[in-house]
Amino acid sequence: MLFRRIYQFLIVYIIGISFLLMIKMGLSLSDYVIPGVPLILETAGQVFKEYFFDVMNTMSVAVLGQCLSIILAFTVGISGRKSSWVGSFIKVTAYNIQAYPIVALAPIIFILLGDGFIPRLLIASMICYFPLLLSVLGIMATPVADIEHFYIVTGRMRWQLEVKIRAFENLSKLTTVISGSATLAMAGTIVAEFIAANAGIGYSIRIALYQSDLAKILVALFMIGIIISIYQGILETMGEQIKTRWSISKGGEVL
Amino acid sequence: MRLECNSLNFTYPGSRIAVINNLSFSIQNPGFKALFGPSGVGKTSLAKLIANSKFRGAKDIITENMDTILYSYNLERLPGWSSTGNHLNKVTSPEKQSLKERLIEIFELNDVLGSRFSQLSMGQQNRMNLIRYLVQDFDLLILDESLANVDEKLREAIILAIKELFSDKMFLYISHNLMEVSKFCSQILVFGKSSEKKDCFVIDGQDCKKGYLVDKKELDVTMLEIMNAF
Repeated sequence: MLFRRIYQFLIVYIIGISFLLMIKMGLSLSDYVIPGVPLILETAGQVFKEYFFDVMNTMSVAVLGQCLSIILAFTVGISGRKSSWVGSFIKVTAYNIQAYPIVALAPIIFILLGDGFIPRLLIASMICYFPLLLSVLGIMATPVADIEHFYIVTGRMRWQLEVKIRAFENLSKLTTVISGSATLAMAGTIVAEFIAANAGIGYSIRIALYQSDLAKILVALFMIGIIISIYQGILETMGEQIKTRWSISKGGEVL
Repeated sequence: MRLECNSLNFTYPGSRIAVINNLSFSIQNPGFKALFGPSGVGKTSLAKLIANSKFRGAKDIITENMDTILYSYNLERLPGWSSTGNHLNKVTSPEKQSLKERLIEIFELNDVLGSRFSQLSMGQQNRMNLIRYLVQDFDLLILDESLANVDEKLREAIILAIKELFSDKMFLYISHNLMEVSKFCSQILVFGKSSEKKDCFVIDGQDCKKGYLVDKKELDVTMLEIMNAF
């Protein structure tokens, strides 16, 4: 899983770079506009260490933001699973708010909270919160009648059991959504850093942009991509391990 | 103990076609009763209506001396996060532990108690599901194809054991096996084809118990009666 993620990213990255190089050659552009491979490698050698720590800084905020949004999405999703007035209200509100671009709200957050750690964390968690919430709401609001029937008719159903049944039956969906939201959290943090922050890879990209240094941006993109791939690979492997530990696959599934 | 329906009608919301149309019958006393008829005549709908406390107590469904009515069906599943034996233990009260042990033996499930539900065959799954209902408190248990995919010999052993162990309870057995319902049930509610607007009949079955031999001629007569009724 982990290695597949990494080589998938490498393929996409190489295709992207090749495309840029083709444009460079086709239009006879200078290294100032699109850098050549030697310049990219030279820049990588200069900024690799700095950018690595920048990405790790961004990553730590993204992971924290993702954890926050997972906790929040599960709390709201579980409370909003019932078809009661409150449940419907939560669902409608979530659907409406998620349609609004969070990036557009980012300036308000920066105006109110200023630069720094908290606004980055807030934007990261907000960006991956709504897709997570919609998935959790969908899963938690859908009864698993074949399993729940017995507990309902015998009066044994409790909300904890209901949540456990629905989460277990949708474990694959949940792990996919959680690992997918990692990219969103990372994107959210980078956007936050790009708009207004004083640390992280987004901040470094902004500086590179002001210097019109595409080589630095390409190196930053490589670092972001490779580290997100590793993080997603780890999340997916963890998801697989949870699934294997919690459930035993049906023998017939191989047939 | 009496279960009675008086001119019962039921149409699913959003549908124009009545699933149950002017249905009236009465079945009494504990024992094995059957709902029999072709697919789509409303057997499961009727069973769900009887089991649903919202519909009981009105004029059209009367349940006398039956406080707890449970409905079980053959597609039910046990949660997959622990073994079936664990799940059975959790839903069995301490005073019913010995009954559970006995049922496990009769249902031939001792070897699979350590397995997860998804690892069992369909017949084993249905038997496991039925056990957890039998260890609950109930007055009427509706078995909607609850013994599907179980081989004939074991099915017979299970039905006879249930009749012996739960002689004071009423069972409503939904099955498409003509021979089985004729042989083991005391009363069979036969649904006629709705397209032919046939009525519903209650026919007396052979009510075979452990140690009794069924008269083949009488069994044939019962089967013929049922066939003529739908």
